[in-house]
Amino acid sequence: MPGPTMFFSTLMSDEAKTIARGLQKRYPDLLDRLIEQYQYRLFRYLVYVTGSRERAEDFFQETWIRVLERGHQYDGKSKFEAWLFAIARHLVIDWQRSKKAQSLDTLTDPEQEHPLQLANENEPSPLHQVLSQETQENVQASLRKIPAIYREILVLRFQEELQIDEMAGVLSVPLSTVKSRLYRGLEALRGALQGGAA
Amino acid sequence: MNSGNAHDRALHLIAQGRVEGIAETDSTWLRAHLEECEFCTKHARQTDRALQSLRTAVIPLPDGLASRTQFRVQLRLHELREREPQRRALWAACAVSWVFGIASAPYVWRLFQWFGERTGVPKLVWELGFGLWWTIPALFVLIVLLMEKVRQGGEPDWMRQSK
Repeated sequence: MPGPTMFFSTLMSDEAKTIARGLQKRYPDLLDRLIEQYQYRLFRYLVYVTGSRERAEDFFQETWIRVLERGHQYDGKSKFEAWLFAIARHLVIDWQRSKKAQSLDTLTDPEQEHPLQLANENEPSPLHQVLSQETQENVQASLRKIPAIYREILVLRFQEELQIDEMAGVLSVPLSTVKSRLYRGLEALRGALQGGAA
Repeated sequence: MNSGNAHDRALHLIAQGRVEGIAETDSTWLRAHLEECEFCTKHARQTDRALQSLRTAVIPLPDGLASRTQFRVQLRLHELREREPQRRALWAACAVSWVFGIASAPYVWRLFQWFGERTGVPKLVWELGFGLWWTIPALFVLIVLLMEKVRQGGEPDWMRQSK
Protein backbone atom coordinates (compact mmCIF):
# COMPACT_ATOMS: atom_id res chain seq x y z
CA MET A 1 0.00 0.00 0.00
CA PRO A 2 1.56 3.35 -0.99
CA GLY A 3 2.36 5.71 1.89
CA PRO A 4 1.08 9.28 2.25
CA THR A 5 4.35 10.72 0.88
CA MET A 6 3.94 8.79 -2.35
CA PHE A 7 0.29 9.80 -2.53
CA PHE A 8 1.09 13.52 -2.23
CA SER A 9 4.01 13.19 -4.61
CA THR A 10 1.70 11.64 -7.24
CA LEU A 11 -0.87 14.37 -6.64
CA MET A 12 1.78 17.07 -7.09
CA SER A 13 3.08 15.43 -10.21
CA ASP A 14 -0.46 15.31 -11.65
CA GLU A 15 -0.96 18.97 -10.77
CA ALA A 16 2.35 19.90 -12.46
CA LYS A 17 1.37 17.97 -15.60
CA THR A 18 -2.04 19.68 -15.67
CA ILE A 19 -0.31 23.06 -15.39
CA ALA A 20 2.14 22.13 -18.15
CA ARG A 21 -0.69 21.11 -20.50
CA GLY A 22 -2.63 24.28 -19.68
CA LEU A 23 0.39 26.51 -20.24
CA GLN A 24 1.11 24.87 -23.58
CA LYS A 25 -2.44 25.68 -24.67
CA ARG A 26 -2.32 29.10 -22.97
CA TYR A 27 -5.59 28.66 -21.10
CA PRO A 28 -6.56 32.10 -19.73
CA ASP A 29 -8.38 30.65 -16.71
CA LEU A 30 -5.35 28.63 -15.70
CA LEU A 31 -3.11 31.69 -15.91
CA ASP A 32 -5.53 33.71 -13.79
CA ARG A 33 -5.63 30.95 -11.20
CA LEU A 34 -1.84 30.58 -11.11
CA ILE A 35 -1.36 34.34 -10.66
CA GLU A 36 -3.78 34.30 -7.72
CA GLN A 37 -2.32 31.16 -6.22
CA TYR A 38 1.36 32.12 -6.40
CA GLN A 39 1.09 35.89 -5.97
CA TYR A 40 2.28 36.04 -2.40
CA ARG A 41 5.13 33.57 -2.78
CA LEU A 42 6.46 35.11 -5.97
CA PHE A 43 6.17 38.66 -4.68
CA ARG A 44 7.91 37.76 -1.40
CA TYR A 45 10.73 36.03 -3.30
CA LEU A 46 11.16 39.07 -5.57
CA VAL A 47 11.20 41.49 -2.64
CA TYR A 48 13.96 39.47 -0.99
CA VAL A 49 15.96 39.18 -4.22
CA THR A 50 15.62 42.75 -5.45
CA GLY A 51 15.38 44.43 -2.04
CA SER A 52 12.72 46.76 -3.45
CA ARG A 53 8.96 46.58 -3.33
CA GLU A 54 8.45 48.67 -6.50
CA ARG A 55 11.01 46.69 -8.45
CA ALA A 56 9.49 43.45 -7.18
CA GLU A 57 6.10 44.59 -8.48
CA ASP A 58 7.53 45.25 -11.96
CA PHE A 59 9.32 41.94 -12.04
CA PHE A 60 6.19 40.20 -10.81
CA GLN A 61 4.24 41.33 -13.86
CA GLU A 62 7.11 40.62 -16.25
CA THR A 63 7.49 37.13 -14.79
CA TRP A 64 3.89 36.25 -15.58
CA ILE A 65 4.17 37.67 -19.10
CA ARG A 66 7.22 35.44 -19.54
CA VAL A 67 5.27 32.47 -18.14
CA LEU A 68 2.62 33.10 -20.80
CA GLU A 69 5.17 33.38 -23.62
CA ARG A 70 7.43 30.52 -22.54
CA GLY A 71 4.79 28.26 -21.02
CA HIS A 72 5.44 25.58 -23.64
CA GLN A 73 8.93 25.10 -22.14
CA TYR A 74 7.55 23.87 -18.80
CA ASP A 75 7.31 20.08 -19.01
CA GLY A 76 5.65 19.36 -15.66
CA LYS A 77 8.53 17.15 -14.47
CA SER A 78 9.57 19.61 -11.77
CA LYS A 79 7.53 21.72 -9.36
CA PHE A 80 5.86 24.66 -11.04
CA GLU A 81 7.09 27.08 -8.38
CA ALA A 82 10.72 26.08 -9.01
CA TRP A 83 10.28 26.91 -12.69
CA LEU A 84 8.47 30.13 -11.81
CA PHE A 85 11.24 31.30 -9.46
CA ALA A 86 13.87 30.42 -12.06
CA ILE A 87 12.10 32.65 -14.61
CA ALA A 88 11.82 35.48 -12.08
CA ARG A 89 15.47 35.13 -11.14
CA HIS A 90 16.60 35.22 -14.77
CA LEU A 91 14.64 38.40 -15.33
CA VAL A 92 16.36 40.00 -12.34
CA ILE A 93 19.76 38.83 -13.59
CA ASP A 94 19.07 40.20 -17.09
CA TRP A 95 18.12 43.53 -15.55
CA GLN A 96 21.23 43.56 -13.39
CA ARG A 97 23.35 42.73 -16.43
CA SER A 98 21.79 45.48 -18.45
CA LYS A 99 22.55 47.90 -15.63
CA LYS A 100 25.98 46.79 -14.59
CA ALA A 101 27.06 44.23 -17.19
CA GLN A 102 27.72 41.64 -14.52
CA SER A 103 25.84 38.61 -13.31
CA LEU A 104 23.75 38.57 -10.16
CA ASP A 105 25.96 35.83 -8.74
CA THR A 106 29.11 37.87 -9.15
CA LEU A 107 27.40 40.94 -7.84
CA THR A 108 25.71 39.40 -4.87
CA ASP A 109 28.22 36.82 -3.77
CA PRO A 110 30.00 38.28 -0.74
CA GLU A 111 32.90 35.92 -1.42
CA GLN A 112 33.58 37.83 -4.64
CA GLU A 113 35.44 41.09 -4.73
CA HIS A 114 32.48 43.34 -5.51
CA PRO A 115 29.39 42.38 -3.55
CA LEU A 116 26.15 43.86 -4.81
CA GLN A 117 24.77 46.77 -2.85
CA LEU A 118 21.08 46.43 -3.50
CA ALA A 119 20.49 49.67 -1.67
CA ASN A 120 22.52 52.52 -0.30
CA GLU A 121 23.53 51.48 3.20
CA ASN A 122 23.09 55.03 4.49
CA GLU A 123 19.49 55.30 3.35
CA PRO A 124 16.56 53.28 4.67
CA SER A 125 16.51 50.13 2.55
CA PRO A 126 13.34 49.54 0.48
CA LEU A 127 13.30 46.07 1.99
CA HIS A 128 13.33 47.69 5.38
CA GLN A 129 10.49 49.99 4.33
CA VAL A 130 8.49 46.97 3.24
CA LEU A 131 9.15 45.00 6.35
CA SER A 132 8.88 47.89 8.76
CA GLN A 133 5.15 47.95 8.13
CA GLU A 134 5.11 44.85 10.27
CA THR A 135 5.86 44.54 13.93
CA GLN A 136 8.81 42.20 13.64
CA GLU A 137 11.43 44.87 13.97
CA ASN A 138 14.18 42.56 15.02
CA VAL A 139 13.70 40.34 11.98
CA GLN A 140 13.56 43.33 9.67
CA ALA A 141 16.82 44.74 10.90
CA SER A 142 18.48 41.34 10.77
CA LEU A 143 17.38 40.51 7.26
CA ARG A 144 18.75 43.82 6.06
CA LYS A 145 22.18 42.79 7.26
CA ILE A 146 22.24 39.57 5.23
CA PRO A 147 23.65 39.69 1.69
CA ALA A 148 20.97 39.24 -1.01
CA ILE A 149 22.41 35.94 -2.20
CA TYR A 150 21.89 34.42 1.27
CA ARG A 151 18.49 36.01 1.74
CA GLU A 152 17.44 34.42 -1.52
CA ILE A 153 18.60 30.94 -0.59
CA LEU A 154 17.07 31.15 2.90
CA VAL A 155 13.75 32.19 1.39
CA LEU A 156 13.79 29.33 -1.11
CA ARG A 157 14.63 26.75 1.56
CA PHE A 158 12.82 27.88 4.68
CA GLN A 159 9.88 29.86 3.31
CA GLU A 160 9.27 28.13 -0.01
CA GLU A 161 10.49 24.80 1.35
CA LEU A 162 12.13 23.79 -1.91
CA GLN A 163 14.40 20.76 -1.88
CA ILE A 164 18.14 21.24 -2.38
CA ASP A 165 18.07 19.81 -5.91
CA GLU A 166 15.14 22.07 -6.80
CA MET A 167 17.05 25.08 -5.52
CA ALA A 168 20.05 24.03 -7.60
CA GLY A 169 17.73 24.10 -10.62
CA VAL A 170 16.36 27.55 -9.78
CA LEU A 171 19.80 29.03 -9.11
CA SER A 172 21.62 27.08 -11.87
CA VAL A 173 24.41 26.11 -9.49
CA PRO A 174 25.75 22.73 -8.25
CA LEU A 175 24.25 21.06 -5.16
CA SER A 176 27.45 21.69 -3.21
CA THR A 177 27.13 25.45 -3.83
CA VAL A 178 23.51 25.41 -2.66
CA LYS A 179 24.53 23.62 0.54
CA SER A 180 27.46 25.89 1.29
CA ARG A 181 25.30 28.99 0.70
CA LEU A 182 22.63 27.54 2.96
CA TYR A 183 25.08 26.91 5.79
CA ARG A 184 26.55 30.39 5.44
CA GLY A 185 23.15 31.98 5.10
CA LEU A 186 21.85 30.22 8.17
CA GLU A 187 24.86 31.32 10.16
CA ALA A 188 24.50 34.88 8.83
CA LEU A 189 20.82 34.95 9.82
CA ARG A 190 21.50 33.55 13.28
CA GLY A 191 24.36 35.97 13.78
CA ALA A 192 22.32 38.90 12.51
CA LEU A 193 19.38 38.09 14.78
CA GLN A 194 21.68 37.55 17.72
CA GLY A 195 23.34 40.90 17.02
CA GLY A 196 19.96 42.57 16.65
CA ALA A 197 18.76 41.18 19.93
CA ALA A 198 21.90 42.21 21.79
CA MET B 1 36.75 13.21 21.60
CA ASN B 2 38.01 16.39 23.22
CA SER B 3 35.63 19.18 24.25
CA GLY B 4 36.48 21.54 21.34
CA ASN B 5 35.89 18.84 18.73
CA ALA B 6 32.59 17.90 20.39
CA HIS B 7 31.36 21.51 20.20
CA ASP B 8 32.45 21.80 16.56
CA ARG B 9 30.65 18.60 15.72
CA ALA B 10 27.54 19.71 17.59
CA LEU B 11 27.43 23.12 15.86
CA HIS B 12 27.89 21.47 12.48
CA LEU B 13 25.12 18.95 13.20
CA ILE B 14 22.76 21.70 14.39
CA ALA B 15 23.13 23.46 11.03
CA GLN B 16 23.10 20.23 9.04
CA GLY B 17 19.91 19.14 10.78
CA ARG B 18 18.13 22.28 9.57
CA VAL B 19 19.63 22.29 6.08
CA GLU B 20 19.63 18.68 4.90
CA GLY B 21 18.82 16.47 7.88
CA ILE B 22 21.06 14.17 9.95
CA ALA B 23 21.31 10.43 10.55
CA GLU B 24 19.65 8.85 13.58
CA THR B 25 23.01 8.08 15.25
CA ASP B 26 24.11 11.71 14.86
CA SER B 27 20.76 12.88 16.17
CA THR B 28 21.10 10.68 19.28
CA TRP B 29 24.63 11.93 19.88
CA LEU B 30 23.53 15.56 19.43
CA ARG B 31 20.63 15.20 21.88
CA ALA B 32 22.98 13.75 24.49
CA HIS B 33 25.49 16.55 23.89
CA LEU B 34 22.85 19.29 24.13
CA GLU B 35 21.68 17.95 27.48
CA GLU B 36 25.13 18.60 28.85
CA CYS B 37 26.30 21.67 26.92
CA GLU B 38 24.72 25.03 27.62
CA PHE B 39 26.69 26.82 24.87
CA CYS B 40 25.53 24.48 22.10
CA THR B 41 21.95 24.43 23.44
CA LYS B 42 21.89 28.22 23.25
CA HIS B 43 23.27 28.05 19.69
CA ALA B 44 20.56 25.55 18.69
CA ARG B 45 17.84 27.75 20.22
CA GLN B 46 19.16 30.82 18.42
CA THR B 47 19.20 28.95 15.13
CA ASP B 48 15.61 27.77 15.60
CA ARG B 49 14.49 31.23 16.63
CA ALA B 50 16.17 32.72 13.55
CA LEU B 51 14.39 30.26 11.26
CA GLN B 52 11.09 30.78 13.03
CA SER B 53 11.45 34.55 12.55
CA LEU B 54 12.21 34.08 8.88
CA ARG B 55 9.25 31.76 8.39
CA THR B 56 6.84 34.14 10.07
CA ALA B 57 8.11 37.34 8.41
CA VAL B 58 5.19 38.87 6.50
CA ILE B 59 5.46 41.02 3.40
CA PRO B 60 2.22 42.85 2.55
CA LEU B 61 1.02 42.50 -1.04
CA PRO B 62 0.41 45.68 -3.05
CA ASP B 63 -3.29 46.37 -3.66
CA GLY B 64 -4.65 44.81 -6.82
CA LEU B 65 -1.34 43.24 -7.81
CA ALA B 66 -2.98 40.04 -9.03
CA SER B 67 -5.80 41.75 -10.94
CA ARG B 68 -3.42 44.22 -12.63
CA THR B 69 -1.14 41.36 -13.63
CA GLN B 70 -4.05 39.27 -14.88
CA PHE B 71 -5.16 42.19 -17.03
CA ARG B 72 -1.69 42.61 -18.55
CA VAL B 73 -1.34 38.88 -19.16
CA GLN B 74 -4.75 38.72 -20.86
CA LEU B 75 -3.80 41.66 -23.09
CA ARG B 76 -0.59 39.95 -24.10
CA LEU B 77 -2.45 36.70 -24.68
CA HIS B 78 -4.84 38.55 -26.97
CA GLU B 79 -1.90 40.00 -28.92
CA LEU B 80 -0.27 36.60 -29.28
CA ARG B 81 -3.50 35.02 -30.49
CA GLU B 82 -4.02 37.78 -33.03
CA ARG B 83 -0.57 37.16 -34.47
CA GLU B 84 -0.93 33.40 -34.60
CA PRO B 85 -2.68 33.19 -38.03
CA GLN B 86 -0.05 35.53 -39.55
CA ARG B 87 2.72 33.41 -38.16
CA ARG B 88 1.10 30.22 -39.42
CA ALA B 89 0.73 31.75 -42.89
CA LEU B 90 4.40 32.74 -42.82
CA TRP B 91 5.55 29.22 -41.97
CA ALA B 92 3.22 27.74 -44.57
CA ALA B 93 4.69 30.09 -47.20
CA CYS B 94 8.20 29.06 -46.13
CA ALA B 95 7.30 25.37 -46.34
CA VAL B 96 5.85 25.80 -49.84
CA SER B 97 8.93 27.79 -50.85
CA TRP B 98 11.31 25.09 -49.60
CA VAL B 99 9.35 22.28 -51.24
CA PHE B 100 9.33 24.22 -54.49
CA GLY B 101 13.05 24.94 -54.07
CA ILE B 102 13.90 21.26 -53.64
CA ALA B 103 11.68 20.16 -56.52
CA SER B 104 13.06 22.78 -58.87
CA ALA B 105 16.72 22.47 -57.81
CA PRO B 106 17.91 20.39 -60.85
CA TYR B 107 16.21 22.77 -63.27
CA VAL B 108 17.51 25.88 -61.52
CA TRP B 109 21.02 24.35 -61.53
CA ARG B 110 20.80 23.83 -65.28
CA LEU B 111 19.45 27.34 -65.75
CA PHE B 112 22.39 28.83 -63.81
CA GLN B 113 24.80 26.61 -65.76
CA TRP B 114 23.30 27.69 -69.08
CA PHE B 115 23.38 31.33 -68.04
CA GLY B 116 26.99 31.02 -66.85
CA GLU B 117 28.11 29.46 -70.13
CA ARG B 118 26.23 32.04 -72.20
CA THR B 119 27.70 35.01 -70.37
CA GLY B 120 31.14 33.52 -69.79
CA VAL B 121 30.92 33.96 -66.02
CA PRO B 122 33.41 31.79 -64.03
CA LYS B 123 31.95 28.51 -62.74
CA LEU B 124 32.45 29.52 -59.07
CA VAL B 125 30.36 32.66 -59.56
CA TRP B 126 27.27 30.96 -61.00
CA GLU B 127 27.61 28.17 -58.40
CA LEU B 128 27.58 30.84 -55.68
CA GLY B 129 24.52 32.34 -57.37
CA PHE B 130 22.81 28.98 -57.14
CA GLY B 131 23.71 28.77 -53.41
CA LEU B 132 22.31 32.25 -52.86
CA TRP B 133 19.08 31.20 -54.56
CA TRP B 134 18.72 28.54 -51.86
CA THR B 135 19.35 30.89 -48.97
CA ILE B 136 16.76 33.47 -50.06
CA PRO B 137 13.77 31.86 -48.21
CA ALA B 138 15.82 31.50 -45.00
CA LEU B 139 16.99 35.12 -45.23
CA PHE B 140 13.42 36.25 -45.80
CA VAL B 141 12.22 34.40 -42.68
CA LEU B 142 15.09 35.83 -40.64
CA ILE B 143 14.21 39.37 -41.69
CA VAL B 144 10.52 38.85 -40.86
CA LEU B 145 11.36 37.39 -37.43
CA LEU B 146 13.74 40.26 -36.65
CA MET B 147 11.09 42.78 -37.66
CA GLU B 148 8.62 40.98 -35.39
CA LYS B 149 11.02 41.20 -32.47
CA VAL B 150 11.57 44.91 -33.03
CA ARG B 151 7.79 45.43 -33.29
CA GLN B 152 7.29 43.67 -29.92
CA GLY B 153 9.11 46.56 -28.33
CA GLY B 154 12.39 44.96 -27.23
CA GLU B 155 12.76 46.17 -23.66
CA PRO B 156 9.97 45.96 -21.15
CA ASP B 157 8.73 49.15 -19.44
CA TRP B 158 10.56 48.56 -16.18
CA MET B 159 13.88 48.32 -17.98
CA ARG B 160 13.33 51.59 -19.80
CA GLN B 161 12.25 53.31 -16.59
CA SER B 162 15.39 52.25 -14.77
CA LYS B 163 17.75 53.86 -17.30
